[in-house]
Amino acid sequence: MTQDIRNTENLDKTINKINDIKYFFENTLTSTNKKAAIGWFCTYTPEELIIAGGFIPIRIFGRKKIIKSESYFPINFCPYIKSGWESLLADADNFRALIFTNSCDGMRRFFDIASKYLTRIPSYLLDVPHLKNKDSQDFLASNISDMKMFIERLNGKKIDKKEIENAVKLINKKRKLLKEYSGIFNKSPHLIDIPTYYKVMELSMISDPEIFIDDLERYLVFIGNIDKTNTKNEISLQPDHRNSPEIMIIGNFIAEDKLWEMLSKMNLKLASEDFCTSNRYFEKQVVTDDNKDLLESIAERYLNKPQCMRMADLGSKLAEIENTIVKNDIKGVIFITLKFCDNMLYSFPLLKQRLNNIGIPVLYLDIEYNNFSEGQVKTRVQAFLEML
Amino acid sequence: MGIKDRLKTGIQKNLNQRYIKKLLGIIALKPILYAYGKTFPSTSDKYLNIFTIESLKKAYSDNNRPIGYGSLFLPYEMFYALGITPFLPEVMAGFTAGLGLAPQTLKEASSHWYSQDLCTFHRSASGAADLDLFPRPDYIITSNLACDAAQKSFYIHSVKHNIEKNFYLIDVPYRYSEESIRYLAAQIKNICTDICSKTGKKLDISMFEEAIKLSNELRKWAIKVGSLRKNLADYPPYFNGLNFILPFHGLAGTKEAVIFYKEIYKDLKKYSDKQNKESSGKNKPAKRILWLHLKPYYRNEIFDILYRENCRVVFEEINHVYWQELDYKKPFESLARKMLSNFLTGSIDNRIDVTLKAAHDYKADGAILFSHWGCRQSNGGARIIKDSLKKINVPTLVLDGDCVDQSNSSQGQVKTRLQGFIEILNS
Repeated sequence: MTQDIRNTENLDKTINKINDIKYFFENTLTSTNKKAAIGWFCTYTPEELIIAGGFIPIRIFGRKKIIKSESYFPINFCPYIKSGWESLLADADNFRALIFTNSCDGMRRFFDIASKYLTRIPSYLLDVPHLKNKDSQDFLASNISDMKMFIERLNGKKIDKKEIENAVKLINKKRKLLKEYSGIFNKSPHLIDIPTYYKVMELSMISDPEIFIDDLERYLVFIGNIDKTNTKNEISLQPDHRNSPEIMIIGNFIAEDKLWEMLSKMNLKLASEDFCTSNRYFEKQVVTDDNKDLLESIAERYLNKPQCMRMADLGSKLAEIENTIVKNDIKGVIFITLKFCDNMLYSFPLLKQRLNNIGIPVLYLDIEYNNFSEGQVKTRVQAFLEML
Repeated sequence: MGIKDRLKTGIQKNLNQRYIKKLLGIIALKPILYAYGKTFPSTSDKYLNIFTIESLKKAYSDNNRPIGYGSLFLPYEMFYALGITPFLPEVMAGFTAGLGLAPQTLKEASSHWYSQDLCTFHRSASGAADLDLFPRPDYIITSNLACDAAQKSFYIHSVKHNIEKNFYLIDVPYRYSEESIRYLAAQIKNICTDICSKTGKKLDISMFEEAIKLSNELRKWAIKVGSLRKNLADYPPYFNGLNFILPFHGLAGTKEAVIFYKEIYKDLKKYSDKQNKESSGKNKPAKRILWLHLKPYYRNEIFDILYRENCRVVFEEINHVYWQELDYKKPFESLARKMLSNFLTGSIDNRIDVTLKAAHDYKADGAILFSHWGCRQSNGGARIIKDSLKKINVPTLVLDGDCVDQSNSSQGQVKTRLQGFIEILNS
């Protein structure tokens, strides 16, 4: 692949492959890793410790249809959690352990269910504070240390400082590359389509990081070469976005292939995003310092990354969104939440009010997980875009 | 039309803060309050209502005392020690249901983009706040204890009143540990210090001492009430322990709460003594029910059906005294320990331990878990609770409904399910 893209002639031949995940991420998709996996759910989970412990961190996306799970949770409960539990009921043995966080009421109960009804797989819940200050940072560092001990007990091996340092470097590199990719995606909607972008994001969370990074680096070189030969945007693989309004999408765990395909077909210009499945995952590096404990540095990153609505400081989150809107010249916001997510639902009244104040229209959508009703959503998005 | 119905109709017709203030001004006058108190069947019930009215009057009166909104499971001892008049929006949401105002408050909340999938305690309170029915707060203190809702909905109140700088979230850790206690105690102390610096007062530890001593008195009497109830075979028809949320939490640290619990004890003791004397063993013993979560606060048939069918709620989990005696010499640490001991924090195991012990101590024949719409923290654990009680042969009814919104609860279905459950208990 590296050979192909160095050659302009071959570049012309392969350019249409830019959205071909199977082509660029072949190694990631076909890797049969011998390392055991630890399943995780929330972006507040420090993957670094999982890697340092000799495991592969795999985010559980819960792609199973909710059937058995209904008898464990009430009807009006987070569909991602239900779907995640459905996946575990079917495939839990793929994991050596599971790591939860106290992100929300739903996750706390999910951990309880897993601890009671899936006893053969050890589960751990990381206590993540809701506040962002020195005390909460120290408290999180201590909790991460407790999580480290849980991981150490899994294979009876201590995790040393060097292993954590290496893991920090690895995950920082992944974050850096994902951020670069995200920047290209936002700036070059004529090249990368929305489903491809989110597929890459998903792969970044469910794959061996070393193999994924390798594939992503090559992919970015390929995209970079196109960019070099495409300074006037004469290569356009996607419909023309020049006259489309810049849209920001804010959501929670949105991983709906059909939604991305629908938005792509509608020629939506996704100029900025705020999701658990993208920027909240990769933004902000762990900054190490010889004078600082490594776990403190990790805690600092996780508490100060783009925050989920669960955090106490809703005001600063809304200010963060407002800044993004101004910076990216956003014309409209699509607020899309999985049903029954209290933290998202409570943030909407204030968000709506603030966006009204700055004259930015917002579309509210709530959706199921793995059960996307395209017709209704499409009509509403179309009407919204027409209005813009 | 009785005094209670007249109050209800009056407020329904004049839904504004001025009328509420006027009404409280009249009803809180001693002779009227005394007459109102007489309409209640027991001394404890009378005090419960009188203290509620007095506490509301304080919150709605234009005196110079600062008003602090607080969420349900806070250590209210700190409010009294700081000289802040507490106002509990979640409890007020219960009143909106009882007074038949919820349709209006919920409608108002919907018009401000509160989703119908959210808990109606918070939606109704937010609607009432948007209708300007609540007094203006000076401070807002909330926590993540039990659920996510309060920290979010209360923040919205702070924005409405432009007091974000006086909004405080007490971040309660998941696990009970010495490190958690330190983290939590430091937060409580910082909040108290910050409020004092804003009010220009010095942090007066003697006020904490007084509030904590009163809180310990409340605790002592609440435990005595609980112990008495363990052996109480029958209950006065007016008794409903699910009405004790305000004194148990919101009045903790006051003389009123102590008086109230002493009165409940006396009421139940009299009843128990009388019952022991009259006990002939001829009557079929009542089925003993353990109640989990809260109840509908609008007029409903649940408790009438239970009473008619010879079932008695012998204990409610919300009345479980979960904390150890507080040490007034270490006020912040004590209050932190109290919060961390709440069985609704952390793992479901904490709640299950309390439930199983209560089922055993109160000799429960069955349990009813009222599944309030939108309460993820409680309903998400329903399956585990049911399975845990099953292991000790206590059948559980998970009764779907809504504590505040009558239209979200099918009375017919509730009745049918309740009757089916009673049949199981009697089989």
